[in-house]
Amino acid sequence: MPDNPFDLSRRLFLDRVAQAAALGSMAQLAPWAAASAAEPAGRERVRLGIIGTGDRGRALIQNILKTRNCAVAAICDDYAPHLDKARALLPAATPSFADHRAMLDAGGIDAVVIATPLHVHAAQTFDALSAGLHVWCEKAMARTIADCTAMVERSRAANRVLQIGHQRLFNPTYLNALARARAGEIGTITQVRASWHRNRDWRRAVPPGSDLERKLNWRLYRESSAGLMTELATHQIQVANWFFGALPTRVMGSGSICFWKDGREVYDHVALIYDYPGGRKLVYTSLLNNARYGCEEQIMGHKGSIEPELGRIYAEEPPRVPGLQQLRRDVAKGRRRTIPIGGATWFPELPVTTPGESLGWGEYDESMLQFEAFAEAVKTNTPAPGLLREAYHASVASLLGEQAMDQGQPAAWPAALAFAEPQTAG
Amino acid sequence: MIEAHVERFMAMGTRVELHVFGACDPQALLLGRRAIEQVDDALTIHRPSPTVSLNEALAAGGAATIDDPTLLAALIETRAMMTLTEGLFDPTVRQGAPRRAWELDGARGRIAADGPLAFDFGGMGKGFALDCAAAALRETGVQSGLLSAGESSILTIGRHPTGEPWPIGVPHPFAPGEFLAEFDLADEALSVSSTVDASAPGRQPTLRGDDGSPVSAPCTAIAISARGSLAEALSTALMVASPGERARFADRDPSRLLCFRFDGCDAISLVQPGVRTCDA
Ligand SMILES: NC(=O)c1ccc[n+]([C@@H]2O[C@H](COP(=O)([O-])OP(=O)(O)OC[C@H]3O[C@@H](n4cnc5c(N)ncnc54)[C@H](O)[C@@H]3O)[C@@H](O)[C@H]2O)c1
Repeated sequence: MPDNPFDLSRRLFLDRVAQAAALGSMAQLAPWAAASAAEPAGRERVRLGIIGTGDRGRALIQNILKTRNCAVAAICDDYAPHLDKARALLPAATPSFADHRAMLDAGGIDAVVIATPLHVHAAQTFDALSAGLHVWCEKAMARTIADCTAMVERSRAANRVLQIGHQRLFNPTYLNALARARAGEIGTITQVRASWHRNRDWRRAVPPGSDLERKLNWRLYRESSAGLMTELATHQIQVANWFFGALPTRVMGSGSICFWKDGREVYDHVALIYDYPGGRKLVYTSLLNNARYGCEEQIMGHKGSIEPELGRIYAEEPPRVPGLQQLRRDVAKGRRRTIPIGGATWFPELPVTTPGESLGWGEYDESMLQFEAFAEAVKTNTPAPGLLREAYHASVASLLGEQAMDQGQPAAWPAALAFAEPQTAG
Repeated sequence: MIEAHVERFMAMGTRVELHVFGACDPQALLLGRRAIEQVDDALTIHRPSPTVSLNEALAAGGAATIDDPTLLAALIETRAMMTLTEGLFDPTVRQGAPRRAWELDGARGRIAADGPLAFDFGGMGKGFALDCAAAALRETGVQSGLLSAGESSILTIGRHPTGEPWPIGVPHPFAPGEFLAEFDLADEALSVSSTVDASAPGRQPTLRGDDGSPVSAPCTAIAISARGSLAEALSTALMVASPGERARFADRDPSRLLCFRFDGCDAISLVQPGVRTCDA
């Protein structure tokens, strides 16, 4: 079936990765992407047990079903309506569980996929590792920095793969953008201005009369979520770290419950500055009552800008010199007239609206591609190099941002929290 | 119809436009741009560059080696212009800092200073970059072109497509639509230095090369020379020069030089005897 959506998507991905690889050393920039561009080893599928079949879990199931090296071997959710929705996507015989420990005990899986609320990621990861399984877990890693660190340490101690769901690391538009940035096309990158703005309350409907508010709306409560930081900012901090090729040195920020005064505990409006070495900055905002500026990372260098969500790269093109415009018009008419020029002229500093150039759009599905890479890592018991480091730093940075806002003080990046690559591979 | 080609970009901290007329090698403008970017990369002090490295090496005085050929060429040019302007143009001058003597061995690429020294090529870099771009363009066969760096540095290649010289008018800073001066240029560069620029805030002060004192009087200086770097150094020097100095270095150089002081909206020409001018 050469033309099924997966093959099309994969072919496009390979094209884009090849394109990016031609610009820079892909093996260096994104070794995991180079790995996922390779052919799968062997024909057997890695058997995955899905924990959490809410919105994301079900989207992941659909992506996993498109891969050529993974299978959904079991599902688990402690909320029956969500489990039922997931069952509808799978063969009737797929075992399903209300408790993840029962799923682990039942066996028949090689790895788990965790798509549950943030505060249970760590415990479920530990349980799966203890059962000898590999773990793929959604971002952000955990509710506390200590748990993020423990997840890394325990996966190493158990000699099992731990991969976190940062799909931008597999997105060919981002990979292409990174390669072009590394090739110097936008010059020295000094600022990433990132935002994720939405205009909705972020609530899930709760059955009337139930006591499910905190369960279904876990994003809105501090025990289970750091709100916009862990849910949205993690993705974009990862992008900033990646393009800066560095870790933040400190973060300062301000958070407020500014618009949705509905009993939620997490901020609905955050503004932060992450400092990077050399005076570079990530300027970050996220809010829930205006969607005009949507989700974007504006990566700014002295020669150009990249907007990866829009998939565009822009050269710094200054406004045209009026006297020289006149010259061109005159020459076109065969005329010679005094050219008014000389002396620095002022030009209005309005936003530039040049269309830029496309970085390459595609129908590829990076969420699916990351499972392809995970399955290969599981088969060889070798994590794709660099992937966990990116995820760990993004999660830590998002939680450090929460801390800075809560305390009203800049938070320095603790040196101990720099990810150390394992001594020996495999 | 005459072919027109253009390349617009930011470099040297300003907007650059390269206009070429007539048939031209498809790579020509790109080569011109690369030449300017190469000068920018070598001379900038706003990001890591050979000039920044040199300044670091000379921060305590002493000697240093210059590996970058563009920087070395700029230093050789600088020395020549310092001599010509009797030191009024000096890219090492700092307000309030003592002036340092320095020696350049161009053949060996060595520089030695008698104390802390730092270069800022802001007073000639744009003209120097245009010279490099013009050389690259001419090499590809370009015969008619007009290059602008920040509109204060202009360089013409050959003649206007009509076959006549390029007619350039420097706008009067206080009289919209009027020219302060008009010139015909052919294979020449023009540079304008000014303390008045009502519409362009945030200009760097122009400093006298010998004592580092800033020029505060409202004036505009214009120099037309065979080379962009020379035109720019001369217009800078002209601004800070005393009448005697202006006359002396104008005598020594075949450039066309003009200097105006402003009294309200009136431009008063400060052209001295011996200064060759080309008023409209
Ligand atoms: N990578 C991305 O782009 C992306 C997008 C959306 C969500 N996510 C992440 O996916 C995760 C889930 O988000 P969601 O939107 O699907 O939330 P959700 O609330 O829709 O789903 C979470 C599911 O987990 C179940 N669950 C809770 N505790 C459980 C437990 N102990 N055992 C088994 N099941 C349990 C819930 O019943 C629910 O069905 C979060 O970590 C979120 O950050 C990632």
